[in-house]
Amino acid sequence: MNLAPSTLAVLAPVPGRVMPMTDVPDPVFAGSVVGPGAALDPRRLRQQVVAPIAGRIGKLHPHAFVVVTPDGRGVLVHLGIDTVELKGAGFTLLAVEGDEVEAGSPIIDWDPAVIEAGGRSPVCPVVALGASADDIRVVAYGGDLAVGAALFTWS
Amino acid sequence: MIDAKAIVAGLGGAENIVEIEPCATRLRTEVRDASKVDEAALKRAGAIAVMHTGVAVQVIVGPEADTVASDIDELLE
Repeated sequence: MNLAPSTLAVLAPVPGRVMPMTDVPDPVFAGSVVGPGAALDPRRLRQQVVAPIAGRIGKLHPHAFVVVTPDGRGVLVHLGIDTVELKGAGFTLLAVEGDEVEAGSPIIDWDPAVIEAGGRSPVCPVVALGASADDIRVVAYGGDLAVGAALFTWS
Repeated sequence: MIDAKAIVAGLGGAENIVEIEPCATRLRTEVRDASKVDEAALKRAGAIAVMHTGVAVQVIVGPEADTVASDIDELLE
């Protein structure tokens, strides 16, 4: 019997350049306090943010969401830094908390250029909640990813 | 599991809390007296980490932050 959890492919929820988490301008994400992962510097165009994995939407805020797998692993996508302060302005929800989604399903519509024009970083941390850093393999830093491309694996 | 009552105590009690707002992963709080914040007690209450900048205290609790904040709101009422 194999008890090892399956390797989870985590997809880019937004198109953009892959950045190390340590470069995120927020100490909680930069320090991987809630978990390791990778960040994306999103392309500055209006876009639909998609689910990075298949599962249930465990939490859905205008500016952030968590998708949880049946085996209990959660991936957090946070759209921009300090964007909770916008109280939802600039974000349109395309899904509902509790929905079962496929990887690549649209969740939120936003425009990173608008966030940046408002004086906030639009950088998007993608976090493997509670994971060990050793279990995360980031595809490659510095590269430009299309939305839905493989970002990291979680074994 | 996060103990809302113990979080309030760790922040120096209800009377020390000016504001508490949940974010996706943390409670953003403002306190009256930063010296009354007990970081070790907050961690015992279930916080993953605590970040201070003067009276602005962020209690990192993970994605249940909104639930914890509403539990705290009920305690403060």
